[in-house]
Amino acid sequence: MTENNKYWRGIEEQSNPELTEKLAQNEFANDISSAEFLGNDEVAESETSRRDFLKFMGFSTAAATLAACEAPIVESIPYVVKPDSLTPGLPSYYATSMYDGMDYASILVKTREGRPIKVEPNKEAPFNNVTNARTQASVLSLYDGARLRGPKVSGADASWSDAMASAKKLLTEKSVLLTSSVISPALKTAIAKLGLRHICVDPVSASNRLDVYEGFTGKRGLPTIDLENASTVFAIGADFLGDWGGQNLMAAYADRRKPSEGMLKHIQAEAGLTLSGSNADVRIKARVSEYEAILAHIYNKVASSTGLIAVNTPALRDDILTNVDMAASELLAAGSSAVVLNGLNTKNAERLTLAINLALNSKAFNTSKFVYTSNGNDESVSAFLADVKIGNVDTVVTLGVNPTYQMPSADFSGLNIVAIADREDETASSAKVALPLSHYLESWSDFSAVDGHYAVGQPTISPLFDSKSAVEIVNALAGGSETAKTLIQESAALHAGSISWNGLLHDGYSSTAVAEVSMNGSMDAGMIDVSGINVMKPQSGLEFYTYTKTGMGAGENANNPWTYELPDPISRLSWDNYIVMSAADAVELGIEVAPESNGAMTGNTLNITVDGNPLENVPVWIQPGQTKGTLGLAVGFGRTAVGKVGNNVGVNAFELLPSTQAFSGQVTATASEVEHGFASVQLAHTMMGRKIVNEISLPTFMNVSHEEWNEKPTFESYKGPLSAFDANLWDDHDHETSHMWNMSIDLNSCTGCGACVVACSLENNVPVVGKDEVRRHRDMHWLRIDRYYSSEMTPELADENGIGAIEKYAKMEIPSESPDVVFQPVMCQHCNHAPCETVCPVGATVHSREGLNHMAYNRCIGTRYCANNCPYKVRRFNWFNYKGNEKFADVNPSQDDYGRMVLNPDVTVRARGVIEKCSLCIQRIQLGKLEAKKDGRMLTDGEFTTACAQACGSNAIVFGDVNNPKSEVSHLKQEGRAYHLLEEVGTQPSVFYQTKVRNRA
Amino acid sequence: MYTTSKLKRFASLIAVVALMLFSSVAQAFEGDAKNGRKLFKQNCASCHKLDKKLIGPALVGVTDKYSEDWLLKWIRNNAELRASGDEDAIAIFEEYNGSVMSAFPALSDQDIFDILQYTIDGDPKPVVTAGGGDGLTIAAPAKDYSKEIVIGLGLLLFVMISLLARMKNTLRLVNGQDPVSILDEAGWFWGRLINNKGFVTVATIIVTVAFLNQLYWFLMGIGVEQNYQPEQPIAFSHALHAGENQIDCNYCHSSARHSKHSGIPSANVCMNCHMYVDGTEIKDDAGNLKYDGERSPEISKIYAAIGWDAEERQYIEDYEQQPIKWVRIHNLPDLAYFNHSQHVNAGQLECQECHGPVETMEEMYQYSELTMGWCINCHRETEVQFEKNGYYQDFHEELTEKYHGEKITAEKIGGLECGKCHY
Repeated sequence: MTENNKYWRGIEEQSNPELTEKLAQNEFANDISSAEFLGNDEVAESETSRRDFLKFMGFSTAAATLAACEAPIVESIPYVVKPDSLTPGLPSYYATSMYDGMDYASILVKTREGRPIKVEPNKEAPFNNVTNARTQASVLSLYDGARLRGPKVSGADASWSDAMASAKKLLTEKSVLLTSSVISPALKTAIAKLGLRHICVDPVSASNRLDVYEGFTGKRGLPTIDLENASTVFAIGADFLGDWGGQNLMAAYADRRKPSEGMLKHIQAEAGLTLSGSNADVRIKARVSEYEAILAHIYNKVASSTGLIAVNTPALRDDILTNVDMAASELLAAGSSAVVLNGLNTKNAERLTLAINLALNSKAFNTSKFVYTSNGNDESVSAFLADVKIGNVDTVVTLGVNPTYQMPSADFSGLNIVAIADREDETASSAKVALPLSHYLESWSDFSAVDGHYAVGQPTISPLFDSKSAVEIVNALAGGSETAKTLIQESAALHAGSISWNGLLHDGYSSTAVAEVSMNGSMDAGMIDVSGINVMKPQSGLEFYTYTKTGMGAGENANNPWTYELPDPISRLSWDNYIVMSAADAVELGIEVAPESNGAMTGNTLNITVDGNPLENVPVWIQPGQTKGTLGLAVGFGRTAVGKVGNNVGVNAFELLPSTQAFSGQVTATASEVEHGFASVQLAHTMMGRKIVNEISLPTFMNVSHEEWNEKPTFESYKGPLSAFDANLWDDHDHETSHMWNMSIDLNSCTGCGACVVACSLENNVPVVGKDEVRRHRDMHWLRIDRYYSSEMTPELADENGIGAIEKYAKMEIPSESPDVVFQPVMCQHCNHAPCETVCPVGATVHSREGLNHMAYNRCIGTRYCANNCPYKVRRFNWFNYKGNEKFADVNPSQDDYGRMVLNPDVTVRARGVIEKCSLCIQRIQLGKLEAKKDGRMLTDGEFTTACAQACGSNAIVFGDVNNPKSEVSHLKQEGRAYHLLEEVGTQPSVFYQTKVRNRA
Repeated sequence: MYTTSKLKRFASLIAVVALMLFSSVAQAFEGDAKNGRKLFKQNCASCHKLDKKLIGPALVGVTDKYSEDWLLKWIRNNAELRASGDEDAIAIFEEYNGSVMSAFPALSDQDIFDILQYTIDGDPKPVVTAGGGDGLTIAAPAKDYSKEIVIGLGLLLFVMISLLARMKNTLRLVNGQDPVSILDEAGWFWGRLINNKGFVTVATIIVTVAFLNQLYWFLMGIGVEQNYQPEQPIAFSHALHAGENQIDCNYCHSSARHSKHSGIPSANVCMNCHMYVDGTEIKDDAGNLKYDGERSPEISKIYAAIGWDAEERQYIEDYEQQPIKWVRIHNLPDLAYFNHSQHVNAGQLECQECHGPVETMEEMYQYSELTMGWCINCHRETEVQFEKNGYYQDFHEELTEKYHGEKITAEKIGGLECGKCHY
């Protein structure tokens, strides 16, 4: 009843309530004198003294405190008419698909009270049922406040009918429709109806490779890869665990990389270190200009054993020749189980790849099933740009592309632009007509991403702004008036087969899709004949290429803070793009990157010119594993009109090299005086000889007992040698009764892709802190993926050569120039003897009966003793009120009314000054148990899992109840490869790891 | 206006009474109006009222318009009657835009006569007797005289002290001493007390402890909103709905069984009943119509929210619906996770255990403290509902063994762990 009560501090207050109000609002009540306030003649005679000042202070503070005691009135507003399918407090899931011109994923969208809050993989879907970091992050782009809120004509707000009328007026015979790749049958129909010259451009071009297949089969797609049929994979410049080829191969790869007889052998040749290269058994550091020669060399080896005609090819460098020969013989030995993957966008490279795969009769290289997620055509783009130059184009309708950003060398200023875009980006801001495009979670669409596949995208929320689906806008430009839903229904009737419309919406895809007329397996004889080709000559001197980063991709989510905050898995840098360079080149160019006293990395920048296009002060990162003489730069950064998060972060790589060009050898670079600060989350790059990531070779795994290579630490005691689990000071918790949650992380399956990190941020409302804070190592990610390089120096080597300890450790800190790379996801290990619990003075972190380490935020007083005492460094401190502090206004989504909608309502948004950490998604555990209790049944294994395990495309993370003998995790705990991180410390973690096994002797 | 409507009502009353007199002469059947009323409520009330058109016509006087045989046929199976080409039947059907009345083949002749009798007799009038008699007796609340007693005693004490002082002075005068005033004596006594260190120390301690105690409870009470009873936008009575009408809590708060939120019913749930119940019949304590036979203004608020045209008996098309902004009474801080279904469904608790005697609350208020101590206390005392819940199939034995047959409370399965409610 406090609401009706008024608390008076004194009689003066009661007689003058306005004054109290005023005092409560002003911290320093210096606008009235003490005389006026106290009404005391004695005081009135003196000037306001220090004592009066203190009185005011005391009074106003007390008044403010009392005013704050009043409970605010909270309204509770029910629906007027509640939708049947919705129960407040329970999530609803919708099956749909995401396609943004580059990534395609079959997903389930979790909505709460009508708001999509999480993207999860649709495991039942037949194609790309895996979410990567970008797909996970894409839900936040829906709530981007920088989105276009309504149609605009010449920069002024307009109605849809006016804007459409203005747009239609601009369309003539000479108009062009410029889109990213189109895989929607309904959109293709609408585009055909519109009848404009249609140009398709991809941000990351595969056009020359597509030309090869189009030449032979008439279909503009790329072969699918059936990795399950492969035993040896040789990839050249193809980051098939990252962004290559439109097909997500993570699950198949991880499955074939299970250590056993016949484990997939992976050889990677590449210039810059990629996820695939990091996971490879053998990595060949090649220059981009050498790719064709390497492929030709392998082709010749294969040809000589299969009786085909060899091609003329330049000689290879000695230091790669051995490994290329080895790769060729591995491929030949594997025969039809071998597969070659090429990422170099030239016709020759793809012809050679196709020929090798056909000559080997590869079962994994599926030329009868094409994937179409990237099908742009660079020749038509060049023709279009030529026509723009001579004035043969009057109007460009852009749909999902941003030519001003992507083609900075072209001049579109003389054109009328009709931009169908989600924001006023670089192109749309100068458009005559801007038509707002709905986010994919608000849109109707359909997809035919791969032969024999049909899926439908359904809206999961009404459009937040006055926007429409792509298919509806294009159809309306063509004069149609159908709604997007009608258009998709019409298209589904043609393509989905016998499945009902409701069935299609329920599943998200059609299991009975009407297959497009697909190629029969028979091959054109010309495919295998490469005798006429002219193999590119390897170059000396600097080479420049562009690549895509794991978080950013080609920049579809360029105003999404999660894509920036996610540290690059290789360089461990966030909020930046930079030129990657080998240490040898850095020495030659005089580039240095070193930590400052506070641990923040700072380095030199580079003035670079590529093909005559200059860019100044580009940051440089010295990357172990980078081929000498090659410089790489990630695309998608350097935006100027994307929104407050992404504007002016990094540099635009397209200014140096257009997307149509694979690389350039015309590079001059000089170090600049300007320095650049990096936001690096990992300073230690090597394990310094410690057993953090266990790694062994396949023969060891197969032939030697695990007790030898996975030796558990023991401690001498009066009872004899004891394991770390038995030698302890504390009483054990009871972990026999009811559940005991454990997590297994297979380091052999983890590719380092970072999807788990973003999924964790979404699920647990992890704040975004921005570059400056990450630079101070105050990143808030509950889950990090540590990356370690091998070093040339090992303790064994030091012993052999008699190297002293100081020199040994100094050298062990330096990563090798051609390192092995390992990834290790680390989150709270949920120790059963947790060092954090014993030091907390207020009991804010305590142990649960179910093997979890609980963190009660409202008890935490922020001493940070726990973080200090944690051997795994997984506890994060909220240094700021991220959701309110102005410093984070640009980066933190919860400072925005729209961005707040993505927050998970089941998880607290932590206040400033408390520690937070991984809870093993306790909200999911509690909900899962509750569902079982409500149904009155036992829990089944895999019924629910943590956000990271769910997002993991390679099933590296397995979560479950080890007290359930049928659970997967209880079996994994018994595996010979299982070990605990820093087991010798005696923390008895609930999280354990599986030893990494490399397939080499 | 008031007089006219009163006159009108009087006139209609006369008419009804006259009708009843007349019909009682004309009527040829015998019926039990009490049973008829019951049957009417069961079978007819969703479409008919006695005195008012609802989905079907008002039923007062129906026995005068139609013959008994005809009514029997119509009520049993009106479709058959229409099919036989009966003009009256077809006329009614057309008058009500072809809305089909259900057939009631199960009703016996006597049942139908009972219902018809009820349409003639109407509802039994409440017997209001002013004092005495065997009708409704309203007990006068016992008057609280404690204040007067205290004042009386105080006065008595004052008089006695004055008398004593008088007597003392008289005695002093008799002894030849000067009289002293009572104030002087009190001052002397006070001086003794104030100079007594022991007394001052004890008094200071008592005052300080009392003050600190009060301060402590004042501070502990900040944010505890027990008995919070804000004014709601609609004067909704749980006593009427859950108490008198015995509507199950879960009917309106349906998500309590499934979800973390108990859910405030959306207006369409209200309309399930209030499409028919518009409050005209609500009577006050004295038995008079509370709203003079008009629609209840509180129920009209629901109609205004959802866009129901009570005259036309249909939803208004393209109506801009206005949500009802209830004031939330039970506010847990964001840092505490509470799930209704956990307690209502898995824990099988009655709503009243936390929300109190809601069925007697005319206006809803917060019954429990909703503090953490209150939660914890319940978790310490409440036994886990193992029976018939397959989830505990294996754990029950393990736990019984572990706790040697003690009663197994929520605490023993981890119900006091921080992370169970704070995450």
